[in-house]
Amino acid sequence: MFALLTQDPAKINYVADPAKAPTLDAFGQLPELASTFGHVDGLFYFTYAVCIFFFVLIVGVLLFSVVKYHRKTFDQPAASNVTHNTPLEVVWTVIPLIIVMVMFAWGFDGCMDMHYAPHAASQNQFKATAKQWSWTFNYPNDPSQSFNEVWIPVDKPVQFVLESTDVLHAFYMPSMRVKRDVIPGRLQTVWFHPKKEGEFHLFCAEYCGDDHSRMYAKVHVVKQSVYDTRPWDQWKDATPAEAAASGESLYKQICASCHSVNGTPSVGPSWKGMFTKQGENYVGRQREVVEGGAKKTITVDDAYITESIQKPDQKKVAEEPYVKNAMTAFPTLEERKIKGLIQYMKSLADAK
Amino acid sequence: MTTNVPVIDAHPAVPSLPKNYLNCSAGFMSWAGTLDHKRIGLMYLIGTGIAFLAGGLFALLVRLHLWEPHGMLFSNETYNQVFTLHGAFMVFLFVIPAIPGSLGNMVMPLMLGAKDVALPRLNLLSFYLWITGAVLATLAIILGGFDTGWTFYTPYSLYTDQAVVSIGLAVFTLGFSSIFTGLNFIVTVHKLRAPGLTWFRMPLFVWAIYATSILQVLATPVLGITVLLVAFERLYHIGIFDPRLGGDPVLFEHFFWFYSHPAVYIMVLPAFGIISELVSVHSRKPLFGYKLIAFSSIAIAIISFLVWGHHMFTSGQSTYAMFAFSFLTFFVAIPTAIKEFSWVATIWKGSIALNSPMLYTLAFLIIFAIGGLTGVILGSLNVDLHLHDTYFVVAHFHYVMMGSIALAFFAGLHHWWPKMFGVMYDETLAKIACGIIFVGFNATFIPQFIMGSQGMPRRYATYVPEFAGYHMASTCGAMLLGCGVALMVYYLVASLLQRKPAMENQWGGVTLDWQTPTPPPLENFHTPPKVVHEVYDYSTLDLHSMQRPIS
Repeated sequence: MFALLTQDPAKINYVADPAKAPTLDAFGQLPELASTFGHVDGLFYFTYAVCIFFFVLIVGVLLFSVVKYHRKTFDQPAASNVTHNTPLEVVWTVIPLIIVMVMFAWGFDGCMDMHYAPHAASQNQFKATAKQWSWTFNYPNDPSQSFNEVWIPVDKPVQFVLESTDVLHAFYMPSMRVKRDVIPGRLQTVWFHPKKEGEFHLFCAEYCGDDHSRMYAKVHVVKQSVYDTRPWDQWKDATPAEAAASGESLYKQICASCHSVNGTPSVGPSWKGMFTKQGENYVGRQREVVEGGAKKTITVDDAYITESIQKPDQKKVAEEPYVKNAMTAFPTLEERKIKGLIQYMKSLADAK
Repeated sequence: MTTNVPVIDAHPAVPSLPKNYLNCSAGFMSWAGTLDHKRIGLMYLIGTGIAFLAGGLFALLVRLHLWEPHGMLFSNETYNQVFTLHGAFMVFLFVIPAIPGSLGNMVMPLMLGAKDVALPRLNLLSFYLWITGAVLATLAIILGGFDTGWTFYTPYSLYTDQAVVSIGLAVFTLGFSSIFTGLNFIVTVHKLRAPGLTWFRMPLFVWAIYATSILQVLATPVLGITVLLVAFERLYHIGIFDPRLGGDPVLFEHFFWFYSHPAVYIMVLPAFGIISELVSVHSRKPLFGYKLIAFSSIAIAIISFLVWGHHMFTSGQSTYAMFAFSFLTFFVAIPTAIKEFSWVATIWKGSIALNSPMLYTLAFLIIFAIGGLTGVILGSLNVDLHLHDTYFVVAHFHYVMMGSIALAFFAGLHHWWPKMFGVMYDETLAKIACGIIFVGFNATFIPQFIMGSQGMPRRYATYVPEFAGYHMASTCGAMLLGCGVALMVYYLVASLLQRKPAMENQWGGVTLDWQTPTPPPLENFHTPPKVVHEVYDYSTLDLHSMQRPIS
């Protein structure tokens, strides 16, 4: 169990720049506030100050007593044998009680603010789907999804509907001061009003298994004009390598849940070995399929893959254990994206 | 073992018996089958001590792994197992049973002037249930480990392919051990107080153990049922917690914290009891606000049942529930603050002996102040939404569970060590170790407060590189803390071999535990003691008993 396994640093998908220290607020304790939830900071520092006051008081009296009243001879009696002092005890019961009630009211008021989303936020509704161990985002009035990265417009209240497809997760953005558990079987929501442009961490804060710590997304808060260019839907395919890279990111978003690239059988066939490289050309493998009820063997090529994405039941794979499984059709997937996926599939045959 | 006759007795007219509880009989069965509360306490001490060292080893591995952002030692899966083992061992095998099981067993009947606990056979059964639980927990490691965290949150604990049922059975068994101990102590306090020992003449350690026992009996069954339900859910797919079967994972959180919040006080109340004793003895001054401290123990025990929801502020409770749970959470701060103030007021104008038990006590008072005050920060609803499940929470509860409870345990151990064994450890080494532990502890957890408030989530095997500096500082602190504990183990074990005799009344205590020979004979008192003084009345102290070595 305690096998010392070395890790592949490339597997980590944190995008943060290691050299960049976090930007802190003026008091140097919380990350710089990027939303309107300033009451969190206010109460945090108020409580902090009260805590420091009482801590200094307690430790001060302790140290003073230890210095002044430490036992010099073994038979030294106590300087005083007072066993109680009612006024003093009332004071140190009532004053803390008043202070904590102030904190309670302040905290509850702030919590109400965070709990009830304003109308404007519910009109700007995103969806974050959590599963082990990734985040998938849907945009308001937009068919595209993005994976572990999301863009939101600055200075516009936003609400996220949170859904989990497996275990507990939590949506945590330290800079926005928001956290909400993502609970399978329930729809939770969280809202905030981003005030600063930039890139912010989105952590999973509820333990969810092996790669809990790698369940990370980057939140880009951008100007409305940038948001309108739909940066989550950019596609680079100027060279075959770029197309393959774009294809790989799309593969991770929509294909990886059913198709492996390392030969492991999943819901659908693995992409490994779909093409082999012969000289400069990629050659497709032979595959048994069922077309119109008749079994036949075909050679995998671009046309077959395109057809399988758009109309997966046309030529259905006849190999075990996939026969019983049906693939989701993607009839509207753009041609350049299909080409990117094929390019990525072919690139798997490249010598590593 | 020394067989010398104690010279001074509380009742010197009666001839002393020649033997004490350690050497009155020998052989494996005289220990394995013993009904003597002191021997059972000693066995608990060894058992929980080993569990603490194992849990500490896991903690050092966790800290070492986090030296680098990518993780230095383990795969993610293994890391998750190691932090789970650290939590489960520390909570279930050490923090909950350690003080009641070892020092409670050892000292409480002495303080009551009783021959033993009320139900000695049940006491032995409690210990064997603890052993069974420890074996089952160890078995779970051999069966491949478990990676659910000590909280076993569903539905992850239902889906993971690891030894959850085995550790569930361990927790179930340990729960019964805890219930039996609690039951036993409640009966003992009610029935076996010496003549003249009224409720308000009881030492505060007894009050604290009594309040703890009530909590153990009332809260632990809920945990037992909950882990049993998780086991059934895994084996038979009933659909209580599993959302795929129509169950509710949040229901588990409610069940779990309904036990586990009172459990925090099951852990910390005995520590409060130890500190109350030690502050009084080593300041040679009656405890300030005795009744208020006694009642605050009971108040904490009651309110602690009503605050479990503050572990779930982010899980989407209704705002009415959040209102009530936050309000009551702040309310529980008050009796806790009263205790801290009363201890400080006791030390004020005392005759303060700066020996090692007192140094551990002072370390406790400083660390517990931080642990308690940071709890107030977490009690605010909006602030908790930011800090929940971050390293701030980790640091907060380590300040309470390690910094306060374990340090109080160490303080009590140093205080009653000469009573238990009749030998003294090396005081100089003890003071050095206390200093190392204090510095190491704070160096470990202060960086965790800072990175937690900056947003570092807990239970992370890897982390964003910007937190690396804090993690390194924390790891250095943990190594120092480990050295301090190792030094402590060394001089305590060495004292048993060197056998430097302790004084009859090493620290000048006036409660009944210091009125028996050292170490105590088999049935504690040669003649049944009578209590005629108020508790902590230092005018009755025989100062010379502090300077007469035993034998």
